[in-house]
Amino acid sequence: MEQKIAEVIANLCGAGLEEIEPELALFEEGLLDSFAAIQLVMELEEAFGVSLDMASLPRESIATPAAIARLIREKLG
Amino acid sequence: MTPYSGLLFFYLLALFLIPAVVLGLMGKSLKQYGFVFSLIMLCIIFGEGGQLGWLILFYLWQGAVFLAFRRWKGKRPVLWLAMILALLPLAFVKLGEVWSVFSVFRLLGVSYMTFRGVEVLLNLHDGTVKEISLFRWSYFLLFFPSVSSGPIDRCRRFLADLEGQNSQQEYILLLRQGIRKLIGGAFSAIVLSGLIWQYWLAPLPAKGILPTLSYMYGYTLFLFFNFAGSSSMAIGTGYILGIQVPENFNQPFFSVDMKDFWARWHISLSGWLRDYVYTRFVMASLKNKRFKNPRTASYIGYILTMMTMGLWHGLAPHYLLYGAYHSALMCLNEYLDLHWKPFKKLKRQVWSQLCCVLVTFHLFAFGLLIFSGRLL
Repeated sequence: MEQKIAEVIANLCGAGLEEIEPELALFEEGLLDSFAAIQLVMELEEAFGVSLDMASLPRESIATPAAIARLIREKLG
Repeated sequence: MTPYSGLLFFYLLALFLIPAVVLGLMGKSLKQYGFVFSLIMLCIIFGEGGQLGWLILFYLWQGAVFLAFRRWKGKRPVLWLAMILALLPLAFVKLGEVWSVFSVFRLLGVSYMTFRGVEVLLNLHDGTVKEISLFRWSYFLLFFPSVSSGPIDRCRRFLADLEGQNSQQEYILLLRQGIRKLIGGAFSAIVLSGLIWQYWLAPLPAKGILPTLSYMYGYTLFLFFNFAGSSSMAIGTGYILGIQVPENFNQPFFSVDMKDFWARWHISLSGWLRDYVYTRFVMASLKNKRFKNPRTASYIGYILTMMTMGLWHGLAPHYLLYGAYHSALMCLNEYLDLHWKPFKKLKRQVWSQLCCVLVTFHLFAFGLLIFSGRLL
């Protein structure tokens, strides 16, 4: 799962896969802005077949790849 | 009496906070007393200002909308109707500021309280808040510390604090931080902004290019110290009541671009608008494929968000212009991020970063000059 999340982030942000560390602060490092965050959520929904309501999602839950993995696991049950 | 100014206010604040401190130090829940404290302070402030009747009417109106929505929520048209009804008092007060027919409607803090009320409706509709009792809703809506100048707390965060019970040790930590924030905020909002007003802004002539330029710098510093100080006092009071009110400012003078600026200035308002205007609009636009180029949704989203921000401050022309100005800046920022490759690099390298900080400072200082109404 972590690998797949890293791939989605790397594709979206135009970053190298090796740069996507689990605790990388995606907003603070300038990889995500408000628009890219929405795109990321939509791509994660497609990649994992889960429903993530971006409008009511706390920003911290997608702030790092590790946080995203926790969120997806939680949604997958 | 104005919140967070004048000796009488601080005397009353200290007096009515004493029971909270005693309860907190005994490790007891502050939930009930916090609500009583809010009611006492609201009665004093609004009663003395002749607005208590309007506050009661506002509470009853919002309460009726909340209870009806809680009963019949589910369908989107119901949400829209509830939101329009919840926003109506705010619209009347804002109209009253520019149109004498409505000038009878005056209510301190109506913008902050309305956004809290609307957020509860949205959260109930989304299902992110499953259930909220009338008591919890009332406490959230009327939470006194942040009624007059924010920050705009979030429903889920507030409810989580309300549910949690601080131990004695945790409360001592909160109390220390709260007192520090109260004192620091008072120094900033009363002493520093007062000095800037008295010795810099007040003596300036009303017209002329140089005085206006000087006013722009002075007003930017004045507003920052005043607003950040008031926010800090509100946060500090919240801490003493066991509620960790979110921060509202994070070194905005170090912003490297306008997006960065809005993540550091009046954070609770910009975050609220980002989540409930920008994100919702862009998300719906992308899902429904409203635009050929997805980025068009982002540009329009920024315009909607910043115009809402302008309107939230008021309907006077300078507030609308302020919203339009920031709409243009956010769109320009987005365009540069997308189409000018060196921009990201410039924002990271030391010397060019300094230039970005200076440019951003002047852009928002000019924005505050518009906001001040001196240009119109």
